[in-house]
Amino acid sequence: MDPVLADRLQFSFTIMFHYLFPIGTMGLAPFVAAYTWKAARKQDEESAKIARFWTKIFAMTFAAGVVTGIPMEFQFGTNWAAFSRRSGAIVGQPLAMESVFAFFLESIFLGVLLYRRGRVPTMFTAWSAVLVCAGAWLSGFFVVATNAWMQHPVGYSVASDGTIRLESIWALLFSPFLSWQFAHVLTGALLTGGFIVAGVGAYYLLSHRDEAAGRRFVRAGCTVGLVFALLAVFPTGDRNGNDVTKYQPVKLAAMEGLFESTHGAPLAIIGMPDIQKGHLIDPIFVPEFLSFLAYGNFNANVEGLEAYARELWPPVELTYYAYHVMVGLGTIFVGVSALAVALLPFGRLWRARWLLWLLMLSMPFPFIANEAGWTVSEVGRQPWIIYGLMRTAEGTSPTVAAGEVLFTLIGFAGMYFLLGVLYLYLLLREIGTGPDNVLA
Amino acid sequence: MSVAGFVVVALAVTMYVLLDGFDLGVAAVAPFIARGDRERAAAMASIGPFWNGNEVWLITAGAALFALFPAAYASSFSGFYLPFIVVLWLLMFRGIALELRGHLPSELWHQFWDGAFSCSSGLLIVVFGVALGNLLRGVPLDAAGYFQGTFAFLLNPYALLVGLFALAALAQHGAAFLAMRVEGAFGQKAARAVLMLWPVVLGLYLVMTVLTLRVHLPGGALWLFVMPVLSLGALLGLRWNATAQPAGWSFAMSSLFIVTLLAEAAGTLFPYLIPAFPAGHGGISIFSAAPSSVALGCALTVTVAGIVMVSIYGPIVWWRMGGTIRVE
Repeated sequence: MDPVLADRLQFSFTIMFHYLFPIGTMGLAPFVAAYTWKAARKQDEESAKIARFWTKIFAMTFAAGVVTGIPMEFQFGTNWAAFSRRSGAIVGQPLAMESVFAFFLESIFLGVLLYRRGRVPTMFTAWSAVLVCAGAWLSGFFVVATNAWMQHPVGYSVASDGTIRLESIWALLFSPFLSWQFAHVLTGALLTGGFIVAGVGAYYLLSHRDEAAGRRFVRAGCTVGLVFALLAVFPTGDRNGNDVTKYQPVKLAAMEGLFESTHGAPLAIIGMPDIQKGHLIDPIFVPEFLSFLAYGNFNANVEGLEAYARELWPPVELTYYAYHVMVGLGTIFVGVSALAVALLPFGRLWRARWLLWLLMLSMPFPFIANEAGWTVSEVGRQPWIIYGLMRTAEGTSPTVAAGEVLFTLIGFAGMYFLLGVLYLYLLLREIGTGPDNVLA
Repeated sequence: MSVAGFVVVALAVTMYVLLDGFDLGVAAVAPFIARGDRERAAAMASIGPFWNGNEVWLITAGAALFALFPAAYASSFSGFYLPFIVVLWLLMFRGIALELRGHLPSELWHQFWDGAFSCSSGLLIVVFGVALGNLLRGVPLDAAGYFQGTFAFLLNPYALLVGLFALAALAQHGAAFLAMRVEGAFGQKAARAVLMLWPVVLGLYLVMTVLTLRVHLPGGALWLFVMPVLSLGALLGLRWNATAQPAGWSFAMSSLFIVTLLAEAAGTLFPYLIPAFPAGHGGISIFSAAPSSVALGCALTVTVAGIVMVSIYGPIVWWRMGGTIRVE
């Protein structure tokens, strides 16, 4: 097996599994904070139980995120030593910031939420919940800052031995690529949080239990879900796409399945790319719309894949499908949540069981959309590990053989399978217990 | 500035051993002193609010090494590929055990996770000890600074001795922590465990110190001769205070023992991050591994600011969350 492929498989498997949990924590953290505040204000048992219920689910997700996150921090060194050696002086900075600014905040104050047991004043708990939320988002910011630099390197110089040197950390933290990418990542997580809360609420309403809490969850979840589903499309998704158009035009061409450079390029809604023949199979187009989305002008020229040497193409199929899955699901999220919010007045939603079913069954899909979005970002960046500067194939550890990586990949797979089963079992059990029966 | 970077990394590692050291130590000592579900639950609960924050010190050490000395980070992590991944798996298993134990009211479920917790923690301590032993002894490096040895090379008698010593010392540290955190009969049992472990720790410490003088070149600075005296003093102080009240004193002595040990180890290594084997053949030093001054300055500012911040709010929260646990 090719060692580069083995390293990439291990990284993509461990990061994709890990990322399921941070989506949940970034998305649920504001709900936990809001419910904990409400409980501290109102001092009644019902609010306390609701806060406790979501804190427990958050804590479980957080723990799984911590456990699967540790290998991420260290895999840069174990599997990507050449990359770390050349760029560690830059890539290490936001990761160090994440550790000392975000992780300490999150883990120490989550300890307060989980183990307070009447020792701590309620307002201290409420502030702790806010700080946990801040920690979760800050952590996301620093990770996306690292990634944005790999997508669009700034504030650096290259030394004579090839080492990439840091010139300005501010350039990195205020990179033009970073702001919209982070905003898009965060809206993706928040819309997921909304859909989870709404989905859990819908489950309670459908099974005629915990109904007061269930209504609160559906109301809050759908509203948050709709707001962030809209924000995910515009402006964050649109602006992030414009940055890709500007800095990574070949990625855009792969996302859209555009082979030939075209004036007034059409937008492919569906279709399957055929790399050999250089076209889409069975496409449905919206004429000239891609030019408009990319450049705000129906007649603008959009560069196709064939404007670039083949060796600079990312894997076209995977980038294309991941992008279309993300966009398609995002559109569906807007529709479902808008429908639910529209039926909220006068309690019509509580009688529309089919829509509650839809909300409940929607729960896994925001996770898929988030993962698909990152697939576009990362697979679409290939063949570069640092865009335009260093190739992925040059980044692996020279002393680590493919066989070793395969062994550890199998080990990670086994471990994560076990963790996934346990997490789901305990999560469903916690939802089964429900806010009415949770120990406040 | 490279020297300041070295101090930051050494500080993060020391904080990790000191703080997560008691989590791991509690796990290692619990199967021998905790009888019954309630006592084992108390052992777990004693570290419940803290372990996660403590583990962040390890991440901080790794991230600081990454940002400050990328060459050392790259060659050590990839050079010791398999041992590192095993450490990651053990860390994950430990975390899973701690977090999942309390979720089901079943005694069998508890027993399984208690066992997993103690085994993974005990192994972690030994692996960390072996790693430190090998660092002190030096490892074979090629011209580019990548590790050239084998797995078997790392399992030499000296490193294994350090591993064993680490197990005894952190078990004692964990027992001292339990004696402080838990009231009643279980707390007293923990205090007695400190006493029972004490001669083992002392014996291993003396043998290890003598052998350490043989495996590497003695350093020059005066404080390197002061540290072992302090360590020994702390160890004696621990014996003196082991059953005294309040039990915080024995934990403080144990902490001092660990801090002085790591200060000694860091001082011995300086200015190398990874010395070459055999000793005296150079290695990856803080000067050869350091990046530009901009990067060093940035990473130093960030880590120092972060560590100062957590040193302010961490103890406040801990003090709020502290107090003792009672076993009913």
